Amino acid sequence: MRGRFNKIRGYSNTTFSMVTIIVLSSLLGGLTTLMEEDKLNLPKTIGAWTRPDSPQIITSENIFDYMDGAGELYLGYRFDHLEVYEYTADNQDDILVELYFMKSSDDAFGLLSQDWGGDPVDFDPSSVSKATQNIAPSHRALYGGGLLRIWSDNLYIRIMAYRETPQSKEAVLSLGQAIAENRKHPPQAQLLQILHLTVDSDWKLRSDRIAYFRSYLVLNSFYYLSHENILNLDLSTEAVTAPYENITTTGERKRVQFLFIKYENPERSEQALDNFLKAYLPEHKKDFTPGSTAKSSNFYEVEDGWLGYQLFGKCIALVFGCPHQESAQMIINQMATNLSKIGAVS
Amino acid sequence: MNSKHKLVTRRDFMRGTIGVTLGTSLLGVKWFEGKGAAARSSLVTVVRDKNVMDASMNVDANILKKMLEQTVIQVTGKENSKNAWLSLVKPEDTVGLVSTKHLHPTHDELVDAVTNALVDAGIPKNKILMAQGGPEKPKACTALIVLPSLKAHYLTGIGTVLKSYIRYSGNPSSFHYENSAKLAENWTLPFVKGKTKLIIVDALYPLCDKGPQPDPRYKWAYNGLIAGTDPVAVETVCLKIITEKRRALRGEPWPLSPPPLCVEAADKVYGLGTSKMEEITIKHLGWEKDLLLK
Repeated sequence: MRGRFNKIRGYSNTTFSMVTIIVLSSLLGGLTTLMEEDKLNLPKTIGAWTRPDSPQIITSENIFDYMDGAGELYLGYRFDHLEVYEYTADNQDDILVELYFMKSSDDAFGLLSQDWGGDPVDFDPSSVSKATQNIAPSHRALYGGGLLRIWSDNLYIRIMAYRETPQSKEAVLSLGQAIAENRKHPPQAQLLQILHLTVDSDWKLRSDRIAYFRSYLVLNSFYYLSHENILNLDLSTEAVTAPYENITTTGERKRVQFLFIKYENPERSEQALDNFLKAYLPEHKKDFTPGSTAKSSNFYEVEDGWLGYQLFGKCIALVFGCPHQESAQMIINQMATNLSKIGAVS
Repeated sequence: MNSKHKLVTRRDFMRGTIGVTLGTSLLGVKWFEGKGAAARSSLVTVVRDKNVMDASMNVDANILKKMLEQTVIQVTGKENSKNAWLSLVKPEDTVGLVSTKHLHPTHDELVDAVTNALVDAGIPKNKILMAQGGPEKPKACTALIVLPSLKAHYLTGIGTVLKSYIRYSGNPSSFHYENSAKLAENWTLPFVKGKTKLIIVDALYPLCDKGPQPDPRYKWAYNGLIAGTDPVAVETVCLKIITEKRRALRGEPWPLSPPPLCVEAADKVYGLGTSKMEEITIKHLGWEKDLLLK
């Protein structure tokens, strides 16, 4: 039966936080495995479902034929290629397996960081305990409504049952286990080490909203700045953004957005900051002469609060929506104490 | 970047001046100032039935047919479905159905229901075309009926009504980037303008985040059809539903990002319809629960 996106069943509310899927190994025991050529343990059959012998191969050349309107997300990271399998079964909707081969683990991590929601799944308990430096949630796999998303070394994996049933859910999780087990578990992107969990005890990091990326299109999906690339982001840059929240004693919630970008070299960061300032603060254009941009921090009050920025060698730190100049200053100053952790100043 | 180019930023959005900025850039300030001045009113219908899908999201074609009949009767004010359709299209028209094809597609059952209703009204079946695709598609039609699925979009905020004609431009990807606010431009192409007779949004099982690549956690059974003849008004109502659903899911405001600049621009720059809720009359029939329009 051909799968259909518009027939996916609503997701179950059942939580199964940190379920260890070891028990599913027995299900995998009798499976035929192929794919030795790329060292992935992708079973030929899983429960009632069987995959074709070879995948559909998608590259940057034909990704828009495969996913019109969504390819930009993957090309916004260092994408190598995509392998697609559809598992089929009599009288069952299909299960789609998408294996996104990225050029680094950081790129695959960035794709998972698009959304930290869903139920965590742990295919390898040792991977969590080893990860002592996590700033973002430590999960490497998240499940919800029939869709399993996995960050596994340089692979980002989407496995989706077109219709969620107890059987298809078991098959999806078993496939995830089969693919992800025995692979490396590199740490989260080093750039995240710039983030503090709290700033001056008042501002708390929303770690469940941390995103790692390289593209302004991805930035806009978290925090819209402009439909043009005013910060000169590209595949040679890396960036992290996250909100910080301050909940007052009266329950009032204030939120600011922190953004940190690392460029290839100081020339590029300076150029990017010049471009940003002219685009975003055009009324202050006369203040910005090339090369003069912000060896020290600078602050401006705009429509949604105070904006602060500072250039740190090849990096730029920005904070948006602060209630006053002091909070913007404090956040930037505190992040600066972590610069050595990410090799930002060279 | 040429000297006349006006960059749209978050600050324009916060100020509510997208229309001014884009209008200045595209058409000049004087042109812009004349738009939106006259009092306007648009009707949008929302017809829902809690039984149109079962627990496995299978569509009941008979219930959908009734919902469709109620929709066209409400939109046109005619006494029956046949007269309603014939007030929108004529037997001599070549009618193009413009549905969503990829990733979060329009239900086949809705396309079939509209096709059958048109045939019942006297439109020859061979004059009903599937008109999603390149510019040659609308050129072959004298009337268009838009049947998009309700969904958020990763690049344009919302990807429902105004995005339906993106392929008619011949260069669809350009509207995903800095031109995303200009999606309404495709409705003013010479071979498109004036042909749109009705918009019926498939809101049976919408997607409120991470579109167009579907994440089932953000889909829900709304069980509705949203319709009207003003594309901007219909999109505005769709936007309201998605926004409210997102708020309900997270328990706090969860605005679409990037913001759907195309909706305000369609109104204030292109004069395609109204994006102001106070200028929209919503006529709701059927299932009340979680209407998301209060």
